[in-house]
Amino acid sequence: MDIQLSIQRLTKRYKTGEGVSDISLDVRKGELVTLLGPSGCGKTTVLRSIGGFLEPDSGDILIEGKSVLKLPPEKRPTSMVFQSYNLWPHMTVFENLAFGLKIRKTPKAEMRQAIEEALQLVRLPGAEKKYPSELSGGQQQRVAVARSLLLKPAVLLLDEPFSALDAKLRHEMREELREIQANTGLTMVFVTHDQEEALSISDRIVVMNQGRMEQIASPQHIYDEPNTLFVAQFIGKMNFLKGVVDAGQVRLDDMLLPNPKGLAGNVSLAVRPEDVMLHEAEGQGLAGTIKQVMILGHYAEVSVDLQGRETIRAFRPRDQVKHLHPGQEVKVTFGKSIAYPEQ
Amino acid sequence: MSKQVKMGMLGLALVIPSFLVLFVIVVIPIVISLLESFKDKNGRYSFVNYEHLFTDKLMRSNIIFTLEVTIVSVVLVLIISYALAVYMRFNNGVAVRWIRRTYMIPIFIPSVIATYGLIQLLGNHGWLARILLQAFSVESMPRIIFDKKGIIIAQLWFNIPFTTMLLGSALSAVPNSVIESAKDVGAGFLRIFFKLILPLTFKTLLVAVTFVFMGVIGSFTAPFLIGPNAPQMLGVSMEQVFGVFQDKQMAAAIAFFTFLLCSFMGYFYIQNMIKEERSRSA
Repeated sequence: MDIQLSIQRLTKRYKTGEGVSDISLDVRKGELVTLLGPSGCGKTTVLRSIGGFLEPDSGDILIEGKSVLKLPPEKRPTSMVFQSYNLWPHMTVFENLAFGLKIRKTPKAEMRQAIEEALQLVRLPGAEKKYPSELSGGQQQRVAVARSLLLKPAVLLLDEPFSALDAKLRHEMREELREIQANTGLTMVFVTHDQEEALSISDRIVVMNQGRMEQIASPQHIYDEPNTLFVAQFIGKMNFLKGVVDAGQVRLDDMLLPNPKGLAGNVSLAVRPEDVMLHEAEGQGLAGTIKQVMILGHYAEVSVDLQGRETIRAFRPRDQVKHLHPGQEVKVTFGKSIAYPEQ
Repeated sequence: MSKQVKMGMLGLALVIPSFLVLFVIVVIPIVISLLESFKDKNGRYSFVNYEHLFTDKLMRSNIIFTLEVTIVSVVLVLIISYALAVYMRFNNGVAVRWIRRTYMIPIFIPSVIATYGLIQLLGNHGWLARILLQAFSVESMPRIIFDKKGIIIAQLWFNIPFTTMLLGSALSAVPNSVIESAKDVGAGFLRIFFKLILPLTFKTLLVAVTFVFMGVIGSFTAPFLIGPNAPQMLGVSMEQVFGVFQDKQMAAAIAFFTFLLCSFMGYFYIQNMIKEERSRSA
């Protein structure tokens, strides 16, 4: 596979001590990689370093095998879509889109054609003469995407492009971006703090925390097998239970669970709500009392107070919770669980 | 009474106070001086004052002198202020900190005192002349005080701080991200400046032009204290005609002509504002 973008041991520390350390990442041609993490984790620092807006302290950035570290943003084969649309308010949509092409001395007819196609691609045909202030937030962001697409960048950088949009529009834009990516085969690096967004659009996700990479994997893999406690907490919904390793197995009260990592001592056991099973009060498992049953569309969220322990949440199909009611005694078992050393 | 009529009356009632103030202190004086300017010495209506204003050699040179000083001052003030503001907006460091701390100082110095200071500094045998003589043995300096140059230097001193502040705030309203996205698509500094920064601050630039123009054309203190005896700026000339020659009607004609020059500027300014509004809401 062709490596389109390679980040090698990138380090950038600010005076405040924040920043990133030792980031290495290879992005293949046509891949959409998401940098995901809480605010201040350094994901934007990495993105801005790729775009040339920040100068790293050490490390290298290669695009199509060539180092771009010494190039200013205007000379890099990257293009960035910013969080705050960033269209130029005094120019029409056409002028906004033409700005970069003019710099590249594109012939007029070709430019007109390309702009028409780009607007078609972002589903805004005929918007050429409008000013950014006449467009809605979603439309403006689409124009911003079109502006970047027109330059045919080697790597398209997206800095939380949809975070200023409302939830419904955000969903639509995700799908559209995915479609655009399929159509154009562009390599994209996407930054977001929204784990759901990351899971839904990425080929691979890089989870970052406090300036370091916690895990790089496909959405599926990251969801099923989070490497660290942080990733487990950050991605999706998760229950955490205190356990202890006893004779090579993780023990929760009288329940025994596998310990493939060979941990010792106190552990945190992570269980996805969909892996929590509820049984009749007489069976095996941890004893608990149902606190609440909430119907959330096609599934239900059941919260259970475990005796002498945490409250945990279970996601069950709606028809399975019909006979459950608050105050009912149940037993709880886990379909799948992952243990982490306790912090 | 319908609700619409009531609201209309309320609107009128809200406007009337400010309109009255404007009427009493601006409109009436202008009308009075306009009428006054059309009277000859015997109180009969005629064009004699305006005839004098535009045919008298001295008066004509006064008008040309005033326009010269005004235009040169406006251009210089704008170039220097814009350069300062741009420099402060896009740079950091010791120099920027010091400019930021000091550029407002002239605003806090009364104009008479600043003008006196300029005379001390730039006048015949002033500090500058003495320093040049001592340090570089420069014996003669061009005349600055009691000359056009002195007035212009004073105008720079009076107008640069506020103009810089005005332009500075306009420049800080241009988000970094706008400039970054331009860099991102490949624009160099000059292109960013002429295609983005200048157009995005153009409106404020126009406001600044208007302010400086009006301020300089109607200025009195500096031209009176350090201007030449002839030609004079219109403000000084007006004072002389009014106070020394006691020719009230002629003074009114000069005043009205100055007002016309300013309103020409105002018209130009408003035209541009309207054009901008239209292009935005079109």
